[in-house]
Amino acid sequence: MTGREHLRNLGALAAFALALALLPGMLTLYLRTFVMFTVLYVVLALSWNMISGYTGYVSFGHVAFYGIGSYACGILVADYRWHWIPSLFVGGLVALLVALAVGYPVLRLKGPYFAIAMLGTAESIRVIVTVWERLTHGGYGINFPNIENSFETYYAMLVLMVVTILVSYWVGHSRFGIRLNAIREDEVAAEALGVNTTLYKLAAFGLSAIFPAAGGGIQAYKVLRIEPPSEFFIQITIAMALFTMFGGKGTVIGPVIGAVILYTVQELTWVNFPTAHLIAYGIFIILVARFMPRGLMGFAIDMGWARKGMVH
Amino acid sequence: MTGDTNEIALDIQDLRKHFGAIRAVDGCSFKVPRGKISGLIGPNGSGKTTTFNLLTGVIPPDSGDVFYNGQNLTGLKPYQIFRLGISRTFQIVRIYREMTVFENLLSVSSLSMPEREARARAEELMEFVTLSKLRGEYGGNLSYGQQKLLEFARALMTDPDVILLDEPAAGVNRTLLNTLLDQIHRLQESGKTIIIVEHDMNVIMNHCEKIFVMDYGVKIAEGPPDEIKKNEQVLEAYFGRR
Repeated sequence: MTGREHLRNLGALAAFALALALLPGMLTLYLRTFVMFTVLYVVLALSWNMISGYTGYVSFGHVAFYGIGSYACGILVADYRWHWIPSLFVGGLVALLVALAVGYPVLRLKGPYFAIAMLGTAESIRVIVTVWERLTHGGYGINFPNIENSFETYYAMLVLMVVTILVSYWVGHSRFGIRLNAIREDEVAAEALGVNTTLYKLAAFGLSAIFPAAGGGIQAYKVLRIEPPSEFFIQITIAMALFTMFGGKGTVIGPVIGAVILYTVQELTWVNFPTAHLIAYGIFIILVARFMPRGLMGFAIDMGWARKGMVH
Repeated sequence: MTGDTNEIALDIQDLRKHFGAIRAVDGCSFKVPRGKISGLIGPNGSGKTTTFNLLTGVIPPDSGDVFYNGQNLTGLKPYQIFRLGISRTFQIVRIYREMTVFENLLSVSSLSMPEREARARAEELMEFVTLSKLRGEYGGNLSYGQQKLLEFARALMTDPDVILLDEPAAGVNRTLLNTLLDQIHRLQESGKTIIIVEHDMNVIMNHCEKIFVMDYGVKIAEGPPDEIKKNEQVLEAYFGRR
């Protein structure tokens, strides 16, 4: 890819971010919150994509990092009276360390074994958070001091999204990224052709843990109350996977449009068919899986609208 | 113990690998001459591919040593052995199917090589194996012969000293095969050591200077093609006792 193309893409990102930055004043509280959560899911999908899209290690426990981030924020802000912004960095750091510690053994497992091990990891962390009452208040959850914060959290989420997109963009256009792809395509060959697969997988996994933690922290401060079942909710992991697959795994733009479209569809079906929204949503997903198995980006490539591969 | 490292590229000493009761490689020793094309042949199941996998660290040996430039390779990870300058292709092609031809090549470049150089090298190799027109195509969409060429090019990305080719001729049409063989000779002329596992005896007999024959996990013969053709033990391994 030429320097001009990179400039054009970064310009598009700047325009997108600027448009979102100008929005909140014109929106109702409901819409402001809705856009903030959409942006959160963009961050979550892009992060999941770093390990599962590029490297092919499908994580069914990524909500663990999100939950770690929201609890870091909850504990530091509500109990230790920290300002909420530095707590996001602590959450990111703790999630990174947990990812490295868990990833070192678990990334040796392949395919469904890895997926199940991650599911178990997330559940274990939820149980630890539930029983470690002195630190986390267990099942009582944590309440934050009640204040109106929809503007600050909106902008914080926006900044986080821009950072996540930039990191994803670097991964998606670098030799680091194509080496992750090589691991996904054939790990034995990649290892025999010079890729230190253990190191690369761990790096991708660590990277993929930081941003959900920060996003979880911002979200916790926004909703002002957290408890283990809501912060370690498996449906959040499923959403990360689904949004990424819908948009197109292993691409930068795929998870972004996947999250924006599906989160919006989810919200609209919920608003319009409150009793049947999961059925409507389910039908939509079945149709997509049937007609666009490689997601929107795969479809775009088949139609000749986008180029194959990520480094040109 | 490592032999004359100027003449010998790989010194394989008493290599063993058993899979349960199967003695895939069972005390195999041979010295691969530097800067020449060598052939490794033997009936199906004689342990050729396992030997390749042991040399490249893809599977660890039960015992035995492999010396390369005086350094023992056993215990090293595949990527470490690769970075020492030993590259390979696979019996069944293992190209990256959902990556473009260009990405297949670029993924192999060492990160110590600046990206600009790595890209230039990838372009040069695509030219070398006549795949430039398919630069942006997925590896999985190429024909089998083209995939073999891609794998061959990929093994050359880092300019390795030793190149192990596992059945380069299988499934490749004659014209393409001649191109491939020309390129193998060009590599040899530039000083590379090449080892070929192959069932196509024309390829082995006409292009290798030295041949090693394996049967039931051990080396049963070695020598130039003319000697191997007449060797009783080799004939017996292939055709049975007369």
